[in-house]
Amino acid sequence: MYELFFQKFNEKVPLTLEEQEQIKTYLTPKKLRKRQYLLQDGDVCKSIAFVEKGALRAYTVDENMNEHIIQFAIEGWTISDLFSYLTAEPATYTIDALEDAELVLITRAAHDELLKTQPKYETYIRLLITGAYIALQRRLTSNISLPAEERYTRFTETYPDIAQRVPQHMIASYMGLTPETLSRVRKKMAERR
Amino acid sequence: MKTIQTIAIIGASGNMGAAISKSLAKGNYRLLLCANDLDKVQAVAEEIQSNQPAASVEAVDCSVDASWEADIIIAAVPHDAEREVAQKIKEVANQKIVISIANPLNDSYDGLVTAPYTSAAEELQKLLPNAKVIKAFNTTFAADFATPVIDGKQADAFVAGNDEEALQTVSELVSTAGFNPIVAGDLSVSGTLERMQLLLIQLNMKYDYNWLAGWKILHQ
Repeated sequence: MYELFFQKFNEKVPLTLEEQEQIKTYLTPKKLRKRQYLLQDGDVCKSIAFVEKGALRAYTVDENMNEHIIQFAIEGWTISDLFSYLTAEPATYTIDALEDAELVLITRAAHDELLKTQPKYETYIRLLITGAYIALQRRLTSNISLPAEERYTRFTETYPDIAQRVPQHMIASYMGLTPETLSRVRKKMAERR
Repeated sequence: MKTIQTIAIIGASGNMGAAISKSLAKGNYRLLLCANDLDKVQAVAEEIQSNQPAASVEAVDCSVDASWEADIIIAAVPHDAEREVAQKIKEVANQKIVISIANPLNDSYDGLVTAPYTSAAEELQKLLPNAKVIKAFNTTFAADFATPVIDGKQADAFVAGNDEEALQTVSELVSTAGFNPIVAGDLSVSGTLERMQLLLIQLNMKYDYNWLAGWKILHQ
């Protein structure tokens, strides 16, 4: 239920068993089935979700009802609308499950309590948010400056097996390409190999 | 809230469990009904679905799985079954709202089996130390759920617990069920609420209210 969560935690900040048990009391285990929402835009995002199993996505919907995927999360990743989580303002992202999922949720109340009582949690969260910021910078740079082909390569490096797990039109949406353009890019890359 | 919350109702084939399930099916919730007898709970789910085609309701044979999926868990079981339920769901109920509806009546309905300084809800909280136990739906009879407005007056339904956000969430459930929610205080008020229902049961038997009766606080 929390195996991968604590494995990743320990990789960043080693915990004693006692500390692990103390942190565990603040965590919420949650199962989500495919296509179910964890968060709908307009609601306040109440949790950071760590993925033990399954795949989720966060996306926005524009005025023409087109979905734009902001982030995928597979095993070992976290996903949330951080802006809404930290400010308690309504979320601009919607998060749903692309596969049946098992999550570990950290609610805002649990987060605040853990920050007060568990210094190692503070270190872990700082490293997590730093990592997320770097990933966001890389994604932004790649989106505005790299050719489509290289962006796709970066994507497959970031999410090693997600291309097999997620429909192509979602990957295109994530990369800001039309599905047709992505298909052309993949074809060109395959021909070269 | 737009995001649909999932509610696991354990003991959904019982009188109270079925009544709660039917009335919450009106709201923006996904209901997972479970009980020891899957056939019975399946029948409740089918009845809800045929009366309210838009409802999201499903019979589940495992209370642990249902509680794992759930955001809110309702232990719609008698007091003497709460311990067994708590043992089963303990791990998956971590940090979740668990609603205690039980009134710990003795066999002759003239007293409670709990000690005067405690309550069914506080005992459940001890068994589930990391859950947010809330006392609710214990001062309403099963028949009240179909008729929450009695003699022209909407019945009050009391809610008690230690977590502000959880009290708010459960008050919304109470409203969805058609009652007027009143936050009575922290979980230590549960003993009073349980004794209030003992009195209402005794009055019901004495004056033959036909199990359609409730509490109403009169105020300015």
